[in-house]
Amino acid sequence: MSPRVLLLSLLVLGSASGAVRAQDLLIPMDESQEDHLKAYGVAYWVLERGIVVDWLLNHRGGSFLVPAEPEVERELRVRGVSFEPLSADRSARILADIAREDSNMDTVRLEKPPRIAVYAPDQTLPWDDAVLLALTYAEVPHEMIYDDEILDGRLDDYDWLHLHHEDFTGQYGKFFNYRSTAWYVEQQRDAEETARRRGYRKVSELKSAVVETIRSYVGSGGFLFAMCSGTDTFDIAQAARGVDIVPAEYDGDPVDPDAMQRLDFERTFAFRGFSPIFNAREYEHSDIDMGPPPPQLRSPALDYFTLFEFSAKWDPVPTMLTQNHVSTVKGFVGQTTNFRKALVKEDVVMLAEAPGRGEVRYLHGTYGEGTFTFYGGHDPEDYQHFVGDPPTDLSLHKHSPGYRLILNNVLFPAAKKKKQKT
Amino acid sequence: MDSTLASRHLLAESYLRAAQYDRAIALFEDLLARSPGNSFVADRLREAYEAVKRYDDAIALLDARLAGPESRTVLLAERARLTWLKGDEAGAHADWDRALAAEPGQPGAFLAVYRSLLQVRLFDRAIEVLESGRTSLGNPELFRTDLAQLYGLAGRYGDAMAEYLSLLDQGDHQLAFVRNRLQTLLEQPEAIDAAISAAERSVRAKPLGRANRELLAWLYLEADRFGDALDAFRALDRLERQEGVMLQAFALQAMDSGAFGAALDAFGEVIQRYPDAPSAADSRYGLGTLYERRASGRTDSTRSSDFVLAVEAYSAFAGLHPGHPSIADALYRAARIRLDELGQLDAAESMLAHVAQRFPGTPAADASAFDLGRLDLARGRLAAARVHFTRLADRLRSGELAEAARLELAQLHFYRGEFDAAKAIAESMKENTAADVSNDAIALKVLLVEARGPDSLDSALRGYARALLLERQRKAPEALSTLDSLLAALPEHALADDVTYRRAALLDQVGRPADAVAALLEFPLVYPKSPLADRALDRAADLQADRLGDAQGAVETLSRLLSEYPGSLLAAEARNRLRRLRGDAL
Repeated sequence: MSPRVLLLSLLVLGSASGAVRAQDLLIPMDESQEDHLKAYGVAYWVLERGIVVDWLLNHRGGSFLVPAEPEVERELRVRGVSFEPLSADRSARILADIAREDSNMDTVRLEKPPRIAVYAPDQTLPWDDAVLLALTYAEVPHEMIYDDEILDGRLDDYDWLHLHHEDFTGQYGKFFNYRSTAWYVEQQRDAEETARRRGYRKVSELKSAVVETIRSYVGSGGFLFAMCSGTDTFDIAQAARGVDIVPAEYDGDPVDPDAMQRLDFERTFAFRGFSPIFNAREYEHSDIDMGPPPPQLRSPALDYFTLFEFSAKWDPVPTMLTQNHVSTVKGFVGQTTNFRKALVKEDVVMLAEAPGRGEVRYLHGTYGEGTFTFYGGHDPEDYQHFVGDPPTDLSLHKHSPGYRLILNNVLFPAAKKKKQKT
Repeated sequence: MDSTLASRHLLAESYLRAAQYDRAIALFEDLLARSPGNSFVADRLREAYEAVKRYDDAIALLDARLAGPESRTVLLAERARLTWLKGDEAGAHADWDRALAAEPGQPGAFLAVYRSLLQVRLFDRAIEVLESGRTSLGNPELFRTDLAQLYGLAGRYGDAMAEYLSLLDQGDHQLAFVRNRLQTLLEQPEAIDAAISAAERSVRAKPLGRANRELLAWLYLEADRFGDALDAFRALDRLERQEGVMLQAFALQAMDSGAFGAALDAFGEVIQRYPDAPSAADSRYGLGTLYERRASGRTDSTRSSDFVLAVEAYSAFAGLHPGHPSIADALYRAARIRLDELGQLDAAESMLAHVAQRFPGTPAADASAFDLGRLDLARGRLAAARVHFTRLADRLRSGELAEAARLELAQLHFYRGEFDAAKAIAESMKENTAADVSNDAIALKVLLVEARGPDSLDSALRGYARALLLERQRKAPEALSTLDSLLAALPEHALADDVTYRRAALLDQVGRPADAVAALLEFPLVYPKSPLADRALDRAADLQADRLGDAQGAVETLSRLLSEYPGSLLAAEARNRLRRLRGDAL
């Protein structure tokens, strides 16, 4: 059994778990927290030192409980993360309260910091990556890998893999209007060179091989988190394995005439029955994405999505992924923004939706022994992030609920799997 | 073509445009069967076959036409492309070879094959074809822009640059086109070094080529290689007999980019080589600006020597070019440096008076009048200072300098113990919290409201005002002594925390930084509720790190600040400072 599988055994804590610590530090994650995003980084930092962290699901916005070690206290201060010292008695009362059957709270023990990989090219592209921004701001260590590392089997070195604004269909993001810019030319040349070096005639075939490797990584217990076009293009590429769905403008030859009939939706993680878009000039990959909200709602002031509430004791994983200090999160647009609800597979858990629009913003599911989480949109604090825009300064968005959802995913693989209640 | 056939043709075209390929194919096949020699229909049918990946059928159409009168090269190049798409790479290359052999000696043949290769993005082979075309046709000028573009696409930046440089041989008018094409290429980091190497070779080969040199100079600037850019601009300046104009323009650009060394050399060279040219005057003024800017960015002992050099440069400029439009500004700048940085009060006073009298109505004259007031204040001539500030405030009425003059007037009243007058002026000032002057006025108002009494003469506040005046007059020991006396006399006064905080600053000024740190570290213990408590710890950490070289002590002090005053406005910067001091990678 892989280490990731071992890590996924959530442990029942609370009154039944035995002795309670003499004194703890509570890192509240409700409105009182000074820096929600850095709090995740401190939790990771504590785990790195071999100290366990208890994630108090639904308690004050998903607080963390850590031992009151002087070095932990000092680091919390240095990073500007609010905390409250708790006496042993107070700690015990909080844990007992959480353990009550009639409370929708639970305690998840985090034991080991997950090894994190971010799938991104060496090349600097003219847009930011929300996960990289979140990891960097929260000071969560991570490594960058790309096609070569994945095909060389390096994924086994990591517990968590993030995909962002990637196009796994081999259409270079469908940035047709940018095809003469230096970054596009370089991106295309690098991808073609890698494909040739790896023995593929086309970039779409290279990306398909990468997708297959990631698929088997998830199947054997890996955690996959994807945002923006890294979500739908991953599933499109899975369905289109062995089928040419790339227009001639991107790979020199037309799509297969029977491409639609040959798509295999059994292979996908989250979506089924979708139709790829074969128009090279249309900045959209398929009908999975419902695109930006209608014009009357296309405003940071009006566009929002709501997080579903789950039973912390019965559904700890969705509960972990939706921990937040708010239940309504402001929307943000990406190349892939919202997933069409009608195309989401039945066994996929919807975590957040844009109400009344038949759109899913955030979803989660399992494949084999691993899990995947898809989160639509590009940058939670930049409503419409255009090519060439500067990256978001997260020190100005320390309480960002949208970014919290990303960081929930980062800590989620650190949880020990709990025996399901019977 | 009869009307039935024409309408069938139109229908087939519409099916093709609508991507209904099967229907289009059926119609085009029928049309071609009726008129087998119609190459237009054959092309359309081939297009439809390709759209549904029926490559063999498309190739068969071409094969049927190869025996006819059409250009074999074009047909074979197209056949090669389709063969490539079919997956038969060896067969495709063989067809491209056949295409080249079909019409030897024709540049069009090489272009047809190159375009076919470009369509399937075989850049290396396309380059080979055009290069071999040049060789076999014996004309190295052929395919210049095509090859340059291909080299760029293939990442062969040096070769691309060589092609663009060769374009310059056709005339300097090509420079704008070349720069435009290179702009995109240079966005790729590897490209600029390759481009520079090629441009350097070109300049060595053709030392008198203006366009080549200008391109090289531009490339150096793009790469922030200011030393090399200086050499390039020097050569251009001489080549064009510009008498320092290009060098001086370069110097300003380098200075704005912070490349002071290269700017200094450029200014110096203009002054030395063309002492009587207009560019020399601008360079002398530029030299003063350069030294002043460089000094402002320094904190070590070279700071004051740079300010001395700035004064010398401005003075030399004023002496040599009395009619220059920047003369008032240069003299004012020199005077202000003497006043604020070098402590040369007499010389400063004389120069400021000169500017104020000689150039009335200019911004430099107004600023000089203001500084004359400050200088009078520093020398204890409060009445004279008041005259300067009053005149200036009345004359200018609004604007930053007018507000600064009003603040000085308020402070003058404060120093003289005329607290009501000081408060009235401070209250009349516009509240603009983004401006330092407004913030200082607000601080003065708060002090005047909170620190009066307990006696009717406001003795404590008078003593404190006296100490602040002494400090402005650069009499730190006397100011310190005044504050010591004040603290001993009224230790419980509302001003005690201000006095203690100011006292620590004076201790540092008189060369007792360790005592200053001790006083600041003690401050929060004595005045835990003071609004200055967090600032005292922050200042203590500064002194520990910067003056005493005690980084560990500074870390502990900053930790204390974060622990005791977590809500402080200084907390964010304290965190960053602490992390830098402990070596965190931020």
